[in-house]
Amino acid sequence: MLILFAIFCYLALAIETAVPYFLHLRFLIPNLVVILAVDLGLRHRGAAPAVLAFAMGYAVDAFSGSALGVNAFLMTAIYLGTYEISSRLLVTNAMVGATFVFLGTIVAALGDLGLSAGAAGVQAWSAMLPTIVAQAAITALVAPIVFSILSSAKRTVGLPVAAARE
Amino acid sequence: MKGTFLWRNRVLLTASALLIISLHLLGIETKSGSYAALPALALMEVMRPVQAASARLGEGASGIVHNYFDLVGAREENAKLRAEIAQLNGERAKIAELEVENNHLSGLLELKYALGTDAVAANVIGSDATGMSHTLILGQGTASGLKPGMAVLADEGVVGRIIDASEHASRVLLIDDHNSAVDGVDQRSRARGIIAGVVDEGVIMKYVDRSEDIRKGDQIVTSGLDGIYPRGLLLGSVASVRREGPGLFLDVRVQSAVDFRSLEQVLVVTEQAPPPPPDKRG
Repeated sequence: MLILFAIFCYLALAIETAVPYFLHLRFLIPNLVVILAVDLGLRHRGAAPAVLAFAMGYAVDAFSGSALGVNAFLMTAIYLGTYEISSRLLVTNAMVGATFVFLGTIVAALGDLGLSAGAAGVQAWSAMLPTIVAQAAITALVAPIVFSILSSAKRTVGLPVAAARE
Repeated sequence: MKGTFLWRNRVLLTASALLIISLHLLGIETKSGSYAALPALALMEVMRPVQAASARLGEGASGIVHNYFDLVGAREENAKLRAEIAQLNGERAKIAELEVENNHLSGLLELKYALGTDAVAANVIGSDATGMSHTLILGQGTASGLKPGMAVLADEGVVGRIIDASEHASRVLLIDDHNSAVDGVDQRSRARGIIAGVVDEGVIMKYVDRSEDIRKGDQIVTSGLDGIYPRGLLLGSVASVRREGPGLFLDVRVQSAVDFRSLEQVLVVTEQAPPPPPDKRG
């Protein structure tokens, strides 16, 4: 699982750092790491997925902003939130996953602003919200495709695709 | 072990511990040089080949797009002529690309001589992963003499400063990022202030006294007093000045001199400029 998510995170970061270099409309690029964090929360149980979510956030911090820990915190929080809520749901299909991704992307963006820019970031929330919601919608649209690719990859390496309920 | 409190709540406990570690990382300002930042530097190194390759791929893709548009009008011509045109257009696109690159590098070289300090040219290979902050990734690192804190310039003006540097890659905090601050001075009135990024509003000049005669169109240059940027480099021009409203300071909006989105090559000042002589106005 570790290697699989490391590869996906690597690819996600490669896309997220390289594509804005050509495509200047930044909000059109989905937050792929959020999709991975949500997948961990929806389909994997135990301490290791939490550590993985933290590590993926740390990896994002290596390529974003000027402070370490912002995305590590946010990805861990998104994982934990997804895990806690989904463990109380009866179904966790792609639609539910996309909803988590939509909310997770908004939380990640607003949290990033709040944690890295403080009060000024919080003040800018309302002005930034339309762009953030647009990016969240695009990320949610892409999420089922990523979930599907992840599921195929998990099947290939013999990992469980759906989590066993506790 | 199973059934115990720790086992039942292992996800919550682990995640809570990781959240605390994240906040600790945030609190101790780990970005450059510390043990906590080392894995981040290793990640930059691992990611660099992909970013450099995609940057080259992007340049090639834009050449293909240009070629396509050039070929639309040549549909009626025979296959041989098409092939020749395609080949010529490909070469022309390459030459045009080389000319653009040559112009960039010539500009940077002129800037390097004008600065009179040691500087290294670097390629931009990526941008910020989330887009919430304004950073760039360069394809050169400590192996080329780059270090955190060094000033990054373009021929149009100041770009930012290096915040992280691995062996072959580094990250630049742009001057329009909300965590950036540069000591600047109005070239005409000599009014001083801090050039800082605002989350969604570009760049402002902070702490400019209300009595200062600062006007729209004035050029803002570095003062050199922050110890990072050499003195007299163009930061931008005043886009608007608002004198109404409460507060001790003027509301000054600045249009940055550099279009950060179109940067391909930059110049990194590897030698710290000597401190400027004291300003007559203090």
